Amino acid sequence: MALEKGIYRAFEDIVGPDNISEEPAILDAYAWTGIVQKEKNSTPAARKQTGFQRFAVRCEAILLPGETKEVQSIVRLCNKRGLRFKAFSTGWIGGNIPSGPGAVQIDLRRMNRILEINEKNMYAVVEPYVIGAQLQAELMKVGLNCNITGGGSQTSALPIAAHWGTGHAAHSISNGERNLLALEWVSPEGDIVRTGSLGSIDEWFCGDGPGPSLRGIVRGSITPFGGMGVYTKAATKVYYWPGPSMFPVEGVSPRYKPAEIPPCFMIRYFSFPSMESRAEAMRQISESEIAFELMGFPIPMIASNMATSNQEEREIFARLTKEVRGPGFVVIITGSSQREFSYRTKVLKEIIEATDGTSLRAMEDPEIGGAQMWRFIRPTASIRETFRATGDHSGVFPGHNEFAPVVRLARDIAIVKKELQEKGLLLDDGAEAFPWTEEYGNLSHAEVLYRFSASPASFEGVRHLNEESVKLAVKERAGVPFFVTGDELHDVFGPVASNYHVWLRRIKKAFDPNGAADSASYITARDE
Amino acid sequence: MALEDYRRNMEMCCRCSCCKFIPLERLEGYRYAHVCPSVARYNFHAYSGGGRIGMGVGMLERRFEYSDTFLKVLYDCQMCGGCDVSCKYAMDMDVLDPINEMRIACVGSGRTLPVLDRLRDNLRKTGVMVGKRAGLSEWAAGLDVTEVSEKKAKVVYHAGCRARFDEEQWKVSRAALALLKRAGIDVGIAREELCCGGRAYEMGYREDFLTQAEKKMDQLRKSGAETLVTGCADCFHTLSVLYDRFAMKGDMEVLHITEYLNRLIKEGRIEPARKVEAKVVYHDPCHLGRLGEPYVPWEGKEIPGHIRLFDPPKELRRGTHGVYEPPREILRSIPGIKLVEMERRREYAWCCGAGGGVEESNPAFAAWTAKERMDEAISTGADALVTACSGCERSFRASAEKNGMPMKIFRR
Repeated sequence: MALEKGIYRAFEDIVGPDNISEEPAILDAYAWTGIVQKEKNSTPAARKQTGFQRFAVRCEAILLPGETKEVQSIVRLCNKRGLRFKAFSTGWIGGNIPSGPGAVQIDLRRMNRILEINEKNMYAVVEPYVIGAQLQAELMKVGLNCNITGGGSQTSALPIAAHWGTGHAAHSISNGERNLLALEWVSPEGDIVRTGSLGSIDEWFCGDGPGPSLRGIVRGSITPFGGMGVYTKAATKVYYWPGPSMFPVEGVSPRYKPAEIPPCFMIRYFSFPSMESRAEAMRQISESEIAFELMGFPIPMIASNMATSNQEEREIFARLTKEVRGPGFVVIITGSSQREFSYRTKVLKEIIEATDGTSLRAMEDPEIGGAQMWRFIRPTASIRETFRATGDHSGVFPGHNEFAPVVRLARDIAIVKKELQEKGLLLDDGAEAFPWTEEYGNLSHAEVLYRFSASPASFEGVRHLNEESVKLAVKERAGVPFFVTGDELHDVFGPVASNYHVWLRRIKKAFDPNGAADSASYITARDE
Repeated sequence: MALEDYRRNMEMCCRCSCCKFIPLERLEGYRYAHVCPSVARYNFHAYSGGGRIGMGVGMLERRFEYSDTFLKVLYDCQMCGGCDVSCKYAMDMDVLDPINEMRIACVGSGRTLPVLDRLRDNLRKTGVMVGKRAGLSEWAAGLDVTEVSEKKAKVVYHAGCRARFDEEQWKVSRAALALLKRAGIDVGIAREELCCGGRAYEMGYREDFLTQAEKKMDQLRKSGAETLVTGCADCFHTLSVLYDRFAMKGDMEVLHITEYLNRLIKEGRIEPARKVEAKVVYHDPCHLGRLGEPYVPWEGKEIPGHIRLFDPPKELRRGTHGVYEPPREILRSIPGIKLVEMERRREYAWCCGAGGGVEESNPAFAAWTAKERMDEAISTGADALVTACSGCERSFRASAEKNGMPMKIFRR
């Protein structure tokens, strides 16, 4: 189905002829995703050809607005002409793809400015297509740093762009949802709403006032994937950066490494005899507030990040597996003075001794450790961990809660994963949970990484893992996991989580009566 | 290899967008974050490496017709390989090769750009893609240099079509020959120097490239060349990498002039004649840098499984071993020269804009790309920009002239 000529011309008038396309090849470039599509998102003919389909169903057109007013006009036109829209920033996650005919894709790529870096009040204002690496690089020049979502620093720096926006440095500088300050939002009906201080005094410093606080409206547990309108500008809280203005990286791709580890920086990987002792060490480190990063990477993820290829990864994985004693974590310690750094490393030493941790020798090597350090500060790791193996997205995301429940859930999901590994349906990489703490342990997050080949049997294994993960998450009351998107899963988790889904639907209905904001990866406003 | 042979490779693309930016670990600021001129200029995801990969799978599945718009997207790309490097610093997959196969598939199905067809026709008719008829070595007139059709030479200098037919560039080739002679090298040239054909390959005309390459190698074999030195980065890539890839080069050593001069400097056979007080910035040509790394043949198969491995292990071309240091070492050897760097350099340098047929099919896009690079060069505070490619030199000279940029352009 093509857009009616009149509608196409109206869109063209809004964004200009160079910024709209309904060319099939261009639509296919957008329909191509990093995940195997669910059957409902994939055309039968395409599935027949390839078995598993990475193309989602094409949308009607791609639109590239350059400013908020254009976004508003697009949204209003969609409401008027009965079309749906879905916006994305860098567009990685498959949930950003519109649900096919009757929908247009708003690609926010042209909205790519850093609008302000406010050193005094420690916030930055960005448009959606500023990536994390760009913002971080500019911030570091003035001694500041920002949270970057764990997906990687090629993703949007807009704090509301990704799921929860959690990442490698969340231990000390929190996540996107919590760092979100004032926001400019084009609502599903096309109103430009300015939240927090922006709504009353034209300042970006606060998300909740003076002015309207709509933090709980504009998103649910995770970001609505375009199901609640378009976020066009946002302020993010930024933090003190104790390191150099530019990390001293040298070498040629893919072997980048720092010429030296900056003063008052240290990275270590510790492994433990049990999950309990690792958890206790993480708890104590969090409580003492000594770490810059604290990530419970299982050893296959460390191997992925040290390796420059799959081949090398398998070799390093085999080598490191022999050295580690059990579950482990990466910790990065920094200090704004030698005295502070000495104090923190001394505390760490005592915690590790008390919890029977063992340092991984490879990470103590300045060259290897230094490379990992920068890779975890300027996150570029997740591609290697998840996609390099087979190209398919691979992880279960049990979500956010206190440390103990999410770790317990991730552990149980890992047991299911191990059964599938033993049947040869998933890559045998040790089957460990991957937890980390945020805000020095106030919040926690856990994931279970898996790698699979796109064979029917392997895919069935993944399907089984996902279904079992849902059952376990419901049973163990560990919060609403990240993977809960769409009506079907919300209807599973809502009844066991204060019937939040009823309220989410009411919000959706109130703010989007025409259902114009594509809800395929959010929740629809159907009546209960 | 054909596009179908890259299906599994293309299915590795996870649409992460790393192909749009320089390797993130090297990113120093907001302004010069992008590595792909095509998506930086035209914005639609389809213009990026990942977008092209998605379209490549679409081609295999016959999901769309090869429309004029599709061809525009496909050919508004300098084939610079920036996407390829940025992808492969984390992933195990090829990006540039399948994009080239997409062009070859279009040519095979008769869907091409007329402006590029004319260049191809020129190659068939005259033996060169650009400029006048292949021929006379006026550019070398007056130099005491061996003509290889008359006398064999162990070292043969290949000027390249642009350098031979653009009079403004003659002085560079003449200077190169003079330096070689000063070092005591018995260097030869071919009066009827044939085009290497590399540009035809990058435009998708594989068969024409192979035909031309056969002719070129025949000429080189007859010349007695053991070492071929070229002043053209495009030709260097073709003669060194592509000819190896298609098992044509044999044992002949192929060097870019910067490699050879640097070798001669290190051997003490030539040295800088005078001090030059200048702050200069060096631009890495794509075909000398990231695309210029030696070709390592590999034959084997992918091992089925949950992680993509090869038997025997396969080393992907990641731009790691391109020619980066020799030009810089030459510059550093000149007293008074202060060498500075751009943010985008070496394996993640921004393209000059001229490659992949873009100069001919979309000159405005080529000029836009060159201006981006000139802006970056000027931001370093350098007095002059030095490069090692005739195509880059032309692009930058034109950009500086058109935009009134106060920067000198040099090539070695």
